[in-house]
Amino acid sequence: MSAYSELIKSFEKIRAYIRDFYLYGFKSREEYRVKSARSYDDERRRLESWLGDHMRFVRTPEGKNVFISIDSRTVKHNPLYNAWKAKSFTDGDITLHFILFDILYTPSVKRSVAELLEEIDGHYLSGFESPLVFDESTLRKKLKEYCEAGLLATVKEGRRIYYHRQEDTDLSALGDLLHYFSEVAPCGVIGSFLLDKEGVADSDTFSFKHHYITGSIDSGVLAALFSAMREKRAVSVSNTSPHKDLPRRLLLVPLRILISAQSGRQHLLAYLPSQNAFLSYRIDYLSSVKPEAAEPRFDALREELERLQRHAWGVNIKRSRQGARPLEHVEFTVRVEEGEKYIVKRLLREKRIGEVTQTDERTYRFSADVYDTGELIPWIRTFLCRIVRLHFSNRTVENRFKQDVEAMYALYGIGKEASE
Amino acid sequence: MIFSELYSAYYNTVAAILSHILAGERSERELQRLVTEHAFGESALSLLPALKSGRWQLVHPDMTTPLLHTPTMPLTTLQKQWLKAISLDPRVKLFGVSFPALEGVEPLFTAADYCVYDKYGDGDPFEDEEYIRQFRTVLSAIRQKAQISFEMCNRKGKSVRLRCRPLRLEYSEKDDKFRFITAGRRRGATVNLARIKDCALYTGNKHAPLAVREPVYDTLSVRITDERNAMERFMLHFAHFEKQAERIDGAHYLVHIRYDREDETELVIRILSFGPLVEVLGSERFRQLIIQRLKQQYACGIQ
Repeated sequence: MSAYSELIKSFEKIRAYIRDFYLYGFKSREEYRVKSARSYDDERRRLESWLGDHMRFVRTPEGKNVFISIDSRTVKHNPLYNAWKAKSFTDGDITLHFILFDILYTPSVKRSVAELLEEIDGHYLSGFESPLVFDESTLRKKLKEYCEAGLLATVKEGRRIYYHRQEDTDLSALGDLLHYFSEVAPCGVIGSFLLDKEGVADSDTFSFKHHYITGSIDSGVLAALFSAMREKRAVSVSNTSPHKDLPRRLLLVPLRILISAQSGRQHLLAYLPSQNAFLSYRIDYLSSVKPEAAEPRFDALREELERLQRHAWGVNIKRSRQGARPLEHVEFTVRVEEGEKYIVKRLLREKRIGEVTQTDERTYRFSADVYDTGELIPWIRTFLCRIVRLHFSNRTVENRFKQDVEAMYALYGIGKEASE
Repeated sequence: MIFSELYSAYYNTVAAILSHILAGERSERELQRLVTEHAFGESALSLLPALKSGRWQLVHPDMTTPLLHTPTMPLTTLQKQWLKAISLDPRVKLFGVSFPALEGVEPLFTAADYCVYDKYGDGDPFEDEEYIRQFRTVLSAIRQKAQISFEMCNRKGKSVRLRCRPLRLEYSEKDDKFRFITAGRRRGATVNLARIKDCALYTGNKHAPLAVREPVYDTLSVRITDERNAMERFMLHFAHFEKQAERIDGAHYLVHIRYDREDETELVIRILSFGPLVEVLGSERFRQLIIQRLKQQYACGIQ
């Protein structure tokens, strides 16, 4: 049994725990024991170490519940980024890392493998009682890894290959910019890595409202999907639906990431060749993204997606192998009293597609043709208190909307007075 | 690969420790401080012992190091690709900084690769010259802890000149707007950047009061009926608040959310969007706000 360490080898397991602790936080230790009590204790302890006071607990009759509670408006940096900075390594990895960059301390210094080995043994390790031993193959492997990461480069002189470091990049003027984009741009954790670098002044110039930080734990998946899109490639990916026990392995062509500023959810819009369909997938349900063959139809598929998106309110585009589904018509009318022009402004700024029309002195109508009426329902409900007319071509959704409003009246005892 | 030890807190901490040792600073207390500053809560238990014991052969027992140079590391390709992607964002112009040379680097993503599909349509004019100038003036004042003076329309639509000390810029992804939080203004402690005009650093000798509006927090308690995936949708939607959830039974949950009273109206609207699957239990005042809206709706009827 290996000893506990606050560092981890794989991100996938902790990703699931963070989601559970942060999003829900009502599960007791007993429920996690289905997996492993020790694993639960270790992951909880790691998160406590990484997140400090953001980890909370409460005692309930079911036991002790641990949860993550963060008001993202009051924190300077996304605390969940810490999880990305907890990768484990070997004693040899860290020792070799610092020695290599000490020898190759400037781009003009070039060394062959033999020269590096000699300096490592002769200068750096000889003063230790039991010096670590790095053989040629270990060193070559590390050099290759660093060349692939873009940290080192090689030059060939005669028959010999020499290694040197890449040019350094001056980030000293970018503190504020990095602070801002590390919180608002996709894969912002990479900006956080840059802020960690020596010489980059940290900034407390910005704070963030309506700031969803949960998506940051999916940055690995997001970066892999972006890489595939850049290379116009298909990917194979595991999709874990909460309604199914086992993840499904899918081959798909990633076309666009959709990010919600109102729920923090991130979706992948993709083409599924096996079904000749465009579908959306929750990014937080995806894992193990592997690049596959180049997709020659990538540009055409993206163009078609753009056409479909013109009638999408959210993430549902609904083009299956039978072709695009028929559009559904949605319209609702709201009453705007004197001094309530802000309601009209709300309609105009919050509508993503469709039209807003003034129908008489006091009423305004929103109308649109969409693939999925259901996606508009939460937004339409935000106008409750002034909706005077509703017309959906999808009668099932309209009836459900009206039933829900009746259920809300019942919940709060409204209308009873009138009926009594 | 994003998950790599190259970006780890441990590597950064060890780099900071080695820099200090090379600069002649070897006190235990200072090294402990570096661990606390750069690494995690429990790192002190493993990091310094690993260095001191010679497991990581970078520091001798006498706290000297065989290293000759302050540790530095170039940017990885991934870091450059992300920077390149950021350099293509129109909001970069706000900062007025020149980017490092990134020729030949492909961006990690472009505007065609992602879309924030539900942000509001009246976001700030990030590429407008006047807006950029005002953004930089406010940014500069925050850095210098200086005051600014600016014009804006008051509630009656009359243009007035105001003075304050901006403390920070707050960005809302949903509104796609910057506001600045100020000290020294009793009313309107938060000002929309796009609504001000003729903004300049204040050079007069009047001091700005330092009082900052302290948020007044309240707690909202709701009962969620977990149908149509309501529990997950709710917890995601309100993920950015401090909150606590507990299970009542197999299908119902109780959730408490701590919120700034200033955002109450917005919160009422957001709660309504969940329909009958979320019932407000408290505060009574908040519950009455929901009831008031539903009564108005009842009076409207829906045709």
